[in-house]
Amino acid sequence: MTCRDVTQLLKREGREGPAFADDSALALHLKSCRPCSEALKVVRLSSALLQSLREEVGGPGPTFYPQLRARLAATESGQPDINLLDALGLARRLIPALAMGVLLLAGVTLSISGSSSSLPVQVRSGTDVYAFSLEEVNLPGVIGDLSRDQMLAFVLRQDDVQSTPPHSSLPPGSSPGQALGGGRVREGVRGLR
Amino acid sequence: MNDRRKDQEPAEGWREASEREAHLIRQAQEGDQQAFETLLRLYDRHVCAIIGSFLRRKQDVEDLAQDVFLKAYLAIGRFRPGAPFGPWIRRITVNTCYDHLRKIRRHAEVTFTDLGEGERDFMHLLAEKGYPSIGNQSEDQVAARDLVERILAGLTPKDRLVITLREVHGLEITEIADALGCSRAAAKVRLWRARREMQAWYQRLIRQEEETAHREGRGE
Repeated sequence: MTCRDVTQLLKREGREGPAFADDSALALHLKSCRPCSEALKVVRLSSALLQSLREEVGGPGPTFYPQLRARLAATESGQPDINLLDALGLARRLIPALAMGVLLLAGVTLSISGSSSSLPVQVRSGTDVYAFSLEEVNLPGVIGDLSRDQMLAFVLRQDDVQSTPPHSSLPPGSSPGQALGGGRVREGVRGLR
Repeated sequence: MNDRRKDQEPAEGWREASEREAHLIRQAQEGDQQAFETLLRLYDRHVCAIIGSFLRRKQDVEDLAQDVFLKAYLAIGRFRPGAPFGPWIRRITVNTCYDHLRKIRRHAEVTFTDLGEGERDFMHLLAEKGYPSIGNQSEDQVAARDLVERILAGLTPKDRLVITLREVHGLEITEIADALGCSRAAAKVRLWRARREMQAWYQRLIRQEEETAHREGRGE
């Protein structure tokens, strides 16, 4: 007898009850094979214990229905609105979706607010590369954090309007490049071109 | 001719019962409490049997059965006419049991030393006899039930429900899936996992019993 034969017999025993006849070959195999003998014990212990749960359970006692009638009557008199219960159930089911939405919104807000200031901007001037944070830059007419796109758009605009001075939006006595950090940025952008 | 008549009798009996049930459901939906109670009386033993697999005290079983019937009463208006009542009430019962088990869920690990003296003696007895079927003696039944209750308490409520519906009530996989409100495949997987978990508990108990027997020199 092999382990496979024993497994088949165990499956049968699990389904239909005792399936092992007195078999010397089986006894010999179980004596020498610890996994099989353990598996047999597990199946037998399982069926022995679960059998105790299968005992007949009687119906409810004599006070059951009078009590139930009283509870039903109480429910009738102050019966909760089924639609309201449904709405509450729906709201409960929506809680995970709402939580996901809030998390998503928070994530998007954080990523937007983080992108404007944390990315360094690199501007090449000749062979040198200057790197600075956007927080260090103040553009006229822009309040609050500045995005990289806003800054580059401003630099390019300044670069274009330099050929047709004077620039009306700049304070008197200052050049567009000075507003960005001493003319280096404009030169850098020109260098990039 | 007579054989055909014999075959028709159970079918007609079943149809009559089904029609009577449908009639009672219609009356209950119209607010007839007496009809609703008659309907419940057809299923109260089944409901109590399912709940009884999870709770020991008869009073607790009846309290939960009342909750089940109250829920059924509140929902009977939405019951689809023509559908079988049995699976519907079973689903409510299972959900109520599941909610209850979630509330009282215990995580304590069962070890052999945690077992009471009676349970330990019972395990020794089973081991000595090679784990035979348990007789009708009420002491053995009670000890076996205590032991299996402890093991089941270590499972998740859903695993416990699946094991009980299959192993105790003998429900088919489709019926279990219906009662749990999941697919057939999901019910099958859950049953497989629950069985594996139970087997691990049995193995632990058997090994601990063997170790104790070895220490005490009983196994030699």
